[in-house]
Amino acid sequence: MIFLRRQVPLLITLITGIVFAAQYYVPHPASEQMLTSVTKWLQIIGGFALVLGVSSLFHVHAVKIRRKEAGWGYSFVLYVSMVGTIAVGLWSNGKEAVDGTMTAFGWIYNFMMVPLQGTMFAILAFFIASAAYRSFRARSREAAVLLIAAVIVMMGRVPLGEYLIPISGDLSQWILNVLNASVRRAILIGVSLGTIALSIKIIFGLERSYLGGGKE
Amino acid sequence: MSFSERMLKIDRRIIFLVIGVCTLLPLLYPVGLPIKISNEVRGVYDHIESLPEGSVFLLSLDFDPASKPELQPQAISLLRHAFKKNLRVVAMTLWVSGTGLADQIITQVAREMGKESGKDYVFLGWSPGGTAVIINMGQDLYGAFPADYNGKPTKGLPVLQHVANLRDVNYAVSLGAGRPGVEEWYVFGRDKYKFELGGGCTGVMAPGLYPLLRSGQINGLIGGLRGAAEYETLMDQKGRAIAGMDAQSATHLAIIVLVIMCNLFYFSSRNRTRLQGQSGAH
Repeated sequence: MIFLRRQVPLLITLITGIVFAAQYYVPHPASEQMLTSVTKWLQIIGGFALVLGVSSLFHVHAVKIRRKEAGWGYSFVLYVSMVGTIAVGLWSNGKEAVDGTMTAFGWIYNFMMVPLQGTMFAILAFFIASAAYRSFRARSREAAVLLIAAVIVMMGRVPLGEYLIPISGDLSQWILNVLNASVRRAILIGVSLGTIALSIKIIFGLERSYLGGGKE
Repeated sequence: MSFSERMLKIDRRIIFLVIGVCTLLPLLYPVGLPIKISNEVRGVYDHIESLPEGSVFLLSLDFDPASKPELQPQAISLLRHAFKKNLRVVAMTLWVSGTGLADQIITQVAREMGKESGKDYVFLGWSPGGTAVIINMGQDLYGAFPADYNGKPTKGLPVLQHVANLRDVNYAVSLGAGRPGVEEWYVFGRDKYKFELGGGCTGVMAPGLYPLLRSGQINGLIGGLRGAAEYETLMDQKGRAIAGMDAQSATHLAIIVLVIMCNLFYFSSRNRTRLQGQSGAH
């Protein structure tokens, strides 16, 4: 069993890791055909992952409802909404509209999901304003620099700011293009090097946490 | 408790009210301040402008309804521009929750511009796999999307004539609200299949994409509502983005005033505490 649980996945990872890292540099038709087939598998696995995710969500919330854990009412709402949406979605053949006429699934999408998601995102503006008032204070030199940069960018990104302080637009562009881009690039390079190191460790079996820690 | 300390602990509902009023009033009474065009937005506009008639333009609407206020105006402007230039439009999404919204946007603009599905444009819909879809499209577009959103087989559609994979796309724009989005289209698409790529994103995401822009990995970036308003200005078509810019101006200014006020109260309260401490020591 250990062979199947440990050695086989490690071997598959080693072979596929090396083959597909090399594939990128080999434009031969056979190599391209192999990539085509494997990305199709990936798409199929992606579809199954969705089923797995939904069934896992069902399971977690069913347990919460059965045990009447704290906040089980929310789980019940989620359960009813999910079952209802899936049933209506199947009934409507997954289409929001047919020949320009809105289906029941389209109604749920347009009059429930769109406004709910929109509301969640919109209230962020209010919370950000409140949080900025409470915590955006120049307590140190670093915080003061951050504060000044934020004020300049906020002024420069809106017509009123550019109208009141004409230079704020150019200053904000400079902050975004020079200071922000260079720092972001440094972070990206660091993250990429870390990703390469981690990939090499996974390919050569040095990093095995993805195998899980089940009984052997 | 001093006045400064009281002001620092102001009821947050007052702040909510200020932001609400600053959003609502400019929407009811728009001012219409001039909008300056940035090089980032001009990059996307100029590239579409330079494309000859019949070129293949891929628009990936990688967002869900949460980002609708910022990204829908961008999508509408880009589609209007592409249709005006008689480009062949291939639209799709990598976000399953955005499929309905993407369909509505493309259907609405196509109807407005008198374009026909299958002939002038195609909406491919969503396919599972995230970034794998991009690679799969790069290898074989018909393998990734055997049928369009309406169930019509993609093979044989006049709009996809001579288009086998992403290498045949002349210009692609990803309007991303997260992952997968612009960055994934570069890493898994443009880097390997060598098509020109532009981006659009929400305001909070824009600073994170500047390294791609500065290195030329994307040739333009439409950032947030401001970017959408700039594109509407370039198209000379006033839409929701331009209408929303006054509200955004007012809320930005309100937040700046709040932050300055909070710092003034903070320093006043700190000085007071320090002076009290000194007098207590004497």
